[in-house]
Amino acid sequence: MTNTGMFFRMLFSAVFRRRSRAAMAVIASTVGAATLFCLAMICIAVPQQMNQEMRAYGANLIVTPTGDTTGATGDAAGDSGAAGASGSSGDADAAKAAGIDAAMVEHTTEMVAAKGGEKHATYRYENVRVNAAPYVMAGVDAAAVRNLNHHWVVDGSWPTAGKVLVGRDVADAIGLKVGGSITIGYRASDNASGASSADASSAAGESSGASSATSSDPSDEGAASHGEAGGETSAQSAESPESDAAAQSSQSSQQMQDGRVSSDIMDTTGTEFRVAGIVDTGGSEDSIIYATNADVDKLTGVKRGVDVIEYSSGASDLNALVTSINDMTSMHVKAQQVTKITASDTRIITMLQTLFWIVSLVVLVLTLVGVGTTISSIVSQRRNEIGLRKALGASSAAIGVEFYVESAIYGLLGGLVGTAIGYGLASWLCVAVFERSLPFNWGLGVASVLLAAIVAVVASIPPVHRATRIDPAVVLREE
Amino acid sequence: MLLELDHISKIYGDLHAVDDLTLTVPEGEWLAIVGSSGSGKTTLMNMIGCMDSPSKGSVKLEGRKLEDLNASQLADVRKNMIGLVFQKFYLVPHLTAVENVMVAQYYHSVVDEKQAMEALERVGLKDRAHHLPSQLSGGEQQRVCIARALINEPKLILADEPTGNLDEKNEKIVLDLFRQLHEQGTTIIVVTHDALVASCAQREIMLNHGVLVGEKWNDEQARAAYEAAGGRPASTGAQVEGAQTGETAIGFADPTKAAKTGGEE
Repeated sequence: MTNTGMFFRMLFSAVFRRRSRAAMAVIASTVGAATLFCLAMICIAVPQQMNQEMRAYGANLIVTPTGDTTGATGDAAGDSGAAGASGSSGDADAAKAAGIDAAMVEHTTEMVAAKGGEKHATYRYENVRVNAAPYVMAGVDAAAVRNLNHHWVVDGSWPTAGKVLVGRDVADAIGLKVGGSITIGYRASDNASGASSADASSAAGESSGASSATSSDPSDEGAASHGEAGGETSAQSAESPESDAAAQSSQSSQQMQDGRVSSDIMDTTGTEFRVAGIVDTGGSEDSIIYATNADVDKLTGVKRGVDVIEYSSGASDLNALVTSINDMTSMHVKAQQVTKITASDTRIITMLQTLFWIVSLVVLVLTLVGVGTTISSIVSQRRNEIGLRKALGASSAAIGVEFYVESAIYGLLGGLVGTAIGYGLASWLCVAVFERSLPFNWGLGVASVLLAAIVAVVASIPPVHRATRIDPAVVLREE
Repeated sequence: MLLELDHISKIYGDLHAVDDLTLTVPEGEWLAIVGSSGSGKTTLMNMIGCMDSPSKGSVKLEGRKLEDLNASQLADVRKNMIGLVFQKFYLVPHLTAVENVMVAQYYHSVVDEKQAMEALERVGLKDRAHHLPSQLSGGEQQRVCIARALINEPKLILADEPTGNLDEKNEKIVLDLFRQLHEQGTTIIVVTHDALVASCAQREIMLNHGVLVGEKWNDEQARAAYEAAGGRPASTGAQVEGAQTGETAIGFADPTKAAKTGGEE
């Protein structure tokens, strides 16, 4: 047998033949590791879970087309036809009217996804008429919108081919019921709207009125940018929809009433749709009629890009993401944060994280004291053995290494068991509170085991140091 | 001389545990240090065994002054030159008999289980080699302790009350082992308050409250050899009544021996 073999034989004997004392040390480490790992997992998981929960309350980032006339958007505008506004509307309006084509939606989504998880939905807005009165219709992918806006309350079902989802305000105004029918008319002139600075989408925004410039959007902030998507030429912030709405209002020559634009054109012809459901959000969404993109294409006879992309992004720094998108001027899109959602989300998560980390810190200190006291007591009980080893000629360093490695083994064993128990606890808490499973965080697991070992070793330093400093004769005399 | 003590004292406050002792021990001698409890025997043994340092005076082992050595060098002296036998055995409780012997090898040089087994065989414990100390009797534990002390073939064996916790049968076994070691030329210093154990030694010195009060030789042949080699009687500089201060050894009686042997020599 080599000396290394003897070293491990002594370690094995110390750990497995002194089971009760070893168990005390392992249990102390286990309790510490379990508590810390559980708290750390929750510290990390809860904000993530909260983030996901918050994401269900709509978009935190919207992307709209800019009026830049250079580049690919011009082609899209040309393709759209509907945006071929004449006169001084110019290429900028045409570009806006063409919307964001599918390729650019995909490209923008890739940029957003690169910064974190994302969900998105696109909206194409058109002015339509129901019983001659103007309304806003949105062409959507129902599944995407549903996935993005978990807070929408839908009575009935989501739109499918030939079936529309109408907002609660629209349904009340017209007297619609789920399963009923609605005749929707489309006029290119409504969407070209004659105004030199307005295109089809801006008409939609204006028709929603000053207070409902926001109402054409699923969120108040988003509404501002929707208005912009609709061709608003003035720069506007997502944080100040009112000023934008006021600007729109001042430009509008039409009278606003009950969220609709009054019209004297009494043409009630159109395409008949079934009412699949009625959406009630308590917000601006209640004033819009939602149909599938295919139905809107069919109704308008025009295929074009979308006016708004809404993102629910998991990016840690939304500002940076917005900047990076806006810096890509060749994309001809403009990104804006939905400040209300982002700010409240960040505030809650920061508060939670701070709370959990403070609790973790307190537990860490208590764990250090608990594990430290236990290991210290166990080492102190072996002062005579340390004295004997010194009497046999062992150096203080050699004895230190033996005892530190032994303590590390206790820490590692306790750390492994404690981490497993801690994960079990954290998983159970997550299932009980969030109804979601919690994936094991390997980095945190390894850190937890190593920390347990380090704490055990650190805790054994003072008693081992004390025992190895004194004369062996003194230690041996004490028994 | 293997060991030279030159006016050594160990002082704790006002207490002189060992008071100004001068003593020389040649290689191969079996010396017994006797005295009642608290007489300073164990303190003296600890200073000889490099486990404690004298407050005054000098200890030389093979000509090396121990007070000049640092802790690491003292540890080297302990593991290379000295074998320790304790009254309370001090076996590592979670190691088997053979592992306890191997521990001494581990700190000395290289672990050799076969050699450790031979040492246990020498003390008659080969068949108990893989038992834990808790599974051994007191006598067996002391024999393991002796096997551990002799495994590195030390020049000096220091035994502190080696039979203090043993019955007569085991006491005889242990003393026989010491005789064997002595015959092989190992220097043995036994600290005991048992006069019968002390009488097995070639030479005895007696301490009383840290002061040398007597010296006698049980082996005149050894005495002659000692004096021929320039050895002088032990002495103390302590000025107390009954102290052996001069060049003449003061003899002493062994009351415990008479009690044990019934007066027979």
